[in-house]
Amino acid sequence: MKVVKKIALVLLVAFVGIQFIPTERNQSDSVPSTDFMLVNNVPENIQKKLQVSCYDCHSNNTQYPWYNKVQPVAWFLEDHIKEGKAELNFNEWDSYSSRRKNSKLKSIISQIEDDEMPLKSYTLIHRDARLSDNEKKIVLDWVSKLKDSL
Amino acid sequence: MKNLKVTTVILVMSFIGLTAISCKDAKKENTNEEGSQMEASHDNSDGHHDKEAMHDNSDGHHDEDSDSSTDHTRDIEANTQKNTATTPIIDAYIQIKNALTTDNKNEAAKGGTALVAAFSKFDMSNLTGETHKEYMEILESAKEHAEHIVKSPIDHQREHFEVLSTDINDLVALLGTEKTLYQDSCPMANNGKGAIWLSEVEEIKNPYMGIKMPTCGTIQKQIN
Repeated sequence: MKVVKKIALVLLVAFVGIQFIPTERNQSDSVPSTDFMLVNNVPENIQKKLQVSCYDCHSNNTQYPWYNKVQPVAWFLEDHIKEGKAELNFNEWDSYSSRRKNSKLKSIISQIEDDEMPLKSYTLIHRDARLSDNEKKIVLDWVSKLKDSL
Repeated sequence: MKNLKVTTVILVMSFIGLTAISCKDAKKENTNEEGSQMEASHDNSDGHHDKEAMHDNSDGHHDEDSDSSTDHTRDIEANTQKNTATTPIIDAYIQIKNALTTDNKNEAAKGGTALVAAFSKFDMSNLTGETHKEYMEILESAKEHAEHIVKSPIDHQREHFEVLSTDINDLVALLGTEKTLYQDSCPMANNGKGAIWLSEVEEIKNPYMGIKMPTCGTIQKQIN
């Protein structure tokens, strides 16, 4: 029993301790004029879906529910945000060349089609970021239309 | 020590409890959303249609932009320059292409690394104005796809190779090449939408279908 107590104590101290290590927050008050939603005519339902399912890692502003502020979840998220923004940043959409826009839309479609995005590890905690089959279809149809119009 | 144990248990319980509660809330919201979204999408899709049509008609600038987009490949015969500077880039691209024709993921990845290297060694000091701008756009896109080819499974390598092929095709049209190349097309690639690739040999060896259907495709153009 003593060993169990000791282990529990170490775990507790470690858990509390890591809460004090600061993480870089991905937060911004302003939406730049190059934002995807501002330069494209995005229907409201798709706007909402993209905001909830994509923008946490693919924009300059992450919504942080309480569990995203708890370590080690916050660390995990920080890494994904860095990588996600480098791959695609919806806030900077209009600064991409039309060649790049086209290629990004193609990747968006294939990632959603193959259920690779949103990441499983992310939707596990973030349940409302999941895309139902119906939502997938609505988003994919719209993105394909946008791609064809470019 | 007893107190500590109790505190630990309480902390753990409350943590689990809170997580469970938040999950429940999220689920509820989700089902509600789905219902309302379906209705909303009906309303919106109609409205959006009209707006988009108007947008296309009124915005001439948009059409101008699309000339350089990947959907419309350049006329490859536009440039008959015998440019040797593009050779390392084309060779690395061909290396990826040949690896994909034999379903060789690792060789394709090596070709991706070679392509990134070839682009960074390319001397663009004599490119000016529009040519420079377009080269930079091709470079940015092609490099990104090459990097993905380095680290992706083969089906993703092929998806990136589709766009990479239009990039390299446009590069050849923009700057020219000393090599003899064939622009081939496979109607089955890109989920049946079709895709092109460049080849150094006349014989069709399909990089999209690989070993499964090696001879699917036709020659569209010969360069040089």
